[in-house]
Amino acid sequence: MEQNQNQNVLAYVETAGGKPVNVGLELLTLARTIADAAGQKVTAALIGSGLDEAAQRVAALGADKVVVVDDPAYTAFSMDEYTGVLEQLVKDEKPAVFLMGNTLQGKGIVPRLAARFESGCVADVTAVSAQDGAVRWTTPRFGGTVLAEEVIENSAVQFATVRTGAFPKPEAAQNTAPVEKKTVLVPADSIRTKIREAVKELTESVNLEDADVIVSGGRGMGSAENFKLVEELAALLGGVVGATRPAIEEGWVSRAHQVGQSGKIVAPKLYIACGISGATQHVSGMSSSGFVVAINKDEDAAIFDVANVGIIGDAVKVIPAMIEEIRKAKAEV
Amino acid sequence: MEILVCIKQVPDDAAEIRLKADGTPDLDGVAQVVNAFDTYALEMATRLKEAVGGEITVISVGGEGVRDALKTCLAVGAQHAFLLTDPAFEGSDSLGKARILAAAKAKLEEKSGKPFDLIFCGLEATDKATGQTGAQLAELLNLPLITNLTDISYENGTVTAKQETDFGYNLIDSAAPCVVTVNTPAYTPRYPTIKSKLAAKKMPIDPISLADLGEGLGKVGEKAALTRTVRFAEPPQKVAGVKIKEETCEDSARRAVAMMVEAKAL
Repeated sequence: MEQNQNQNVLAYVETAGGKPVNVGLELLTLARTIADAAGQKVTAALIGSGLDEAAQRVAALGADKVVVVDDPAYTAFSMDEYTGVLEQLVKDEKPAVFLMGNTLQGKGIVPRLAARFESGCVADVTAVSAQDGAVRWTTPRFGGTVLAEEVIENSAVQFATVRTGAFPKPEAAQNTAPVEKKTVLVPADSIRTKIREAVKELTESVNLEDADVIVSGGRGMGSAENFKLVEELAALLGGVVGATRPAIEEGWVSRAHQVGQSGKIVAPKLYIACGISGATQHVSGMSSSGFVVAINKDEDAAIFDVANVGIIGDAVKVIPAMIEEIRKAKAEV
Repeated sequence: MEILVCIKQVPDDAAEIRLKADGTPDLDGVAQVVNAFDTYALEMATRLKEAVGGEITVISVGGEGVRDALKTCLAVGAQHAFLLTDPAFEGSDSLGKARILAAAKAKLEEKSGKPFDLIFCGLEATDKATGQTGAQLAELLNLPLITNLTDISYENGTVTAKQETDFGYNLIDSAAPCVVTVNTPAYTPRYPTIKSKLAAKKMPIDPISLADLGEGLGKVGEKAALTRTVRFAEPPQKVAGVKIKEETCEDSARRAVAMMVEAKAL
């Protein structure tokens, strides 16, 4: 297939409950960078139902065109259907580059699309350099201790999934892009799997990827009872609870809270690590956080290497004192 | 039930890997192990086999060194193992690897006369973490795909998978055959025993080469790879901030919160 025959960047903006997820908006910034370097245009796409508000929001964030597939049939996410819709959109739009968040959905859909278009695909992109249509994608290796700069060659489309928090959300643009509503039907025989039951185990969703504040606990919390301090601090700050794998294996908190290589990659404005030693697997999942506070008994704990503020002490004793101080600080505002 | 498990040998993910002077990842002295997610996939497959009967075949693309990984698999649940090895396979990207695995599956079915009912892959490999190969294998085989499993069951030709979500889990049905990718289940993979290790040592691991796979294979190897690494880099080291160790926890907390306020982090 000939390269560069196509002209635009297609950015799929994932939504949850009718609202764009953070990475969906962030990748519009990346789409603009790539498109501008090659004199291309940005088309943003949304799939779901009841998306008028979301589409308007995206239209004001610098895309040249917004395509919305708004259909009650697509209210709930289904991997086979969404993959089919996106395949059709790629056929219609003929993009040079296709972007999607490296979310549960993106990880499932994008490699399948790449196979369908016999094109190259890079995953979990954290940075990009773009010149004259040639894009270099930076992706993590070995849990993030090494970065690889990759190029995609001999491909009709360059497929990429983008890490949450790696790019800023775009500023509001001067112009609002036109919104085009589109009907895309997926052949019935391409729907091969069926969700029999969607079980909500958690009373509230654990949206670590979109959280501004995350308070995480590790093995150093010592017990399920002590781990409640992490939850209390998170609640006080309006944040989400995170955890390391050891804390989850102890059964103190469910796996949905895992931050790190085999959990969620996060980039909140504030990250508080309580009783966490700082193993590579965990640090690679939180090192893009804006401001990091770490509490650990061990003065030499690796977590202090990535912390803006490190408190040497027993998290079980320090957290209650912090809660007290934060309450005071809040009262003064 | 005939089960195929695709595994990859990777550098031990407990090792902290940096770059050598020549700018490539320093893997000297790093142990090669079965990718953690693939060990979960094999354990899940083994439990399913124990529940419904059948056999497990493990395959992997790589050099002679990958025999060790396959031996390990034979000692913890697999009955057959094949090494997909050929100089022409080297440097394949995820799509190339998926093509080799797909062709090998067809070859093994042709040889045994028994089609596979289920194909297991790990969710991703811990070295590159692209998570592409399993999904692309499903595409090439034109089979249903269920990703991110933490458990599985099988009854009357229907696979029911427990798929982890951000809110809990989905129970997803698919007709067999299908491809599944496995995340971390609630159980840990079993360890080999001395007896199972000795038994595995005696089991054959036959190689499968380019010539064995025939013409339908498609483009594989370094020249056909659609992604290429131009250079490696190390992430910028974050400059460690201030460490606080006051006499009491209260004093430490006070100083820390004051600094958070100053940095507008609160």
